[in-house]
Amino acid sequence: MAHLHIPDGVLSWVIWAPALLLALSMLAVSSWALRDRGPQGVAYQGALGALVLAAMALEIPLGPFEYHLTLIGPVGVLLGPWAAFQVMFVTSAMLSFIGHGGLTVIGLNAVILGAGAAAASVVYGALPGRSRPAAMAAGTAAGQAISGLLWLLVMSWGLAARGWAARHPGGAERFGVIAGVALPMWVVGVVIETTVAFGIARFLARVRPDLLPGATTHAAAPLGETA
Amino acid sequence: MIASLPSIDLLAGSGRTPWHRASALTKLLLVLGIVGLAVFTPSLRLLAALAALALALAVSARVPAKLVATALAYPSMIALVFVVASWDGAWGPAARLLLRPTTSSLAALWLVATTPYPDLFAPISRLLPRAIGDGLFITYRALFELIGRAERMWRSLRIRGGGRVPARQRLGAAGDGLATLVLYAFERSQRLYATMHLRGHSGRICGCRHYAELTRADLLVGATALAVAAMGVTLGGAS
Repeated sequence: MAHLHIPDGVLSWVIWAPALLLALSMLAVSSWALRDRGPQGVAYQGALGALVLAAMALEIPLGPFEYHLTLIGPVGVLLGPWAAFQVMFVTSAMLSFIGHGGLTVIGLNAVILGAGAAAASVVYGALPGRSRPAAMAAGTAAGQAISGLLWLLVMSWGLAARGWAARHPGGAERFGVIAGVALPMWVVGVVIETTVAFGIARFLARVRPDLLPGATTHAAAPLGETA
Repeated sequence: MIASLPSIDLLAGSGRTPWHRASALTKLLLVLGIVGLAVFTPSLRLLAALAALALALAVSARVPAKLVATALAYPSMIALVFVVASWDGAWGPAARLLLRPTTSSLAALWLVATTPYPDLFAPISRLLPRAIGDGLFITYRALFELIGRAERMWRSLRIRGGGRVPARQRLGAAGDGLATLVLYAFERSQRLYATMHLRGHSGRICGCRHYAELTRADLLVGATALAVAAMGVTLGGAS
């Protein structure tokens, strides 16, 4: 649910314009924070961005619904918060060109997804004693929860900015109905992404533990990124 | 829609309409103008005119109807949430909420369906920090290969009964499969880095410079931009 990208024109500019400025500022800060990263790191980042888009194209059948993965948790853990934000900006920009999101809301969509990826990275890093798959799962759950919550907040803010609640006394109940539909989807999203992230980390821990930050391994941190 | 990217890419590279011959820069500016007007105008008549224009652009660029329908479906779905939530019996606001994202989506589709990605990303990457600009190119280049691999992996999981096991096992298997793609992405990035190094990568991937080369087809884009401006002037004040 965190990757229900908001399209152009449904939100007031009061919401998306500051988010765009925030995203551009974060891009500048992230570029500075990652200034020592080599081209290999940029290439890895680009490849994982492509993987995010490829994962979004997959459909996981869940009864009458189909779920599309976002992988914000694993990407946040594998790349760290700044590089993951850059990946989310690039994927949001690409998706906006094919009608999956909007050009004016690239910043907002990137901030929502990037916040989830950053939360995943922070939670993963805060659990050094746990097994890496469990830490990845916990980080992903936190990231997915944060992104979903932000999405709901933005949607409700968007409705409030349109002044509908003031105009219509029954509006709050109506939004309650929408939230009632969205919340179960959000919970399902958290469960799915967490389970998949656990599987990813379990596999990587067996095969290439050096790709997992903080894993006990003989190899150096991937790509020579600054710690 | 993401799965349709290969078709869009093929169309952008092999299309023969005048739109395909026009420069990326003028098309990008036209799309920004259309999207800007669509997002900010309160005029329903202007929005309807812009939506019709965007649809005409997509049709004249010979974008398949299926792609047009797909590009319309997703923004309409999200806009409908807002329509339902803010419905007060008036059709005007509902129509605005639906027309804005769909117009924008159609205009963006026209742009990507008529412009090869190096031309499209080149002007954008010049406005972004180096790593993000490079990320656009690298992500796009890796995308089709990874989509293909992901689809093959998914198909093989289903063929081997992956769809009939309990959801927890199914998701675990999906995690394993995606982890192999993470490994592949890592190895691919190493190969790409080696290739970039061999080719004398200077610290920035330069898009081709064709994006700003004007052709006679740009007159058509200019005429369309004038039409958009005329619409804005004549219909912008009407509700």
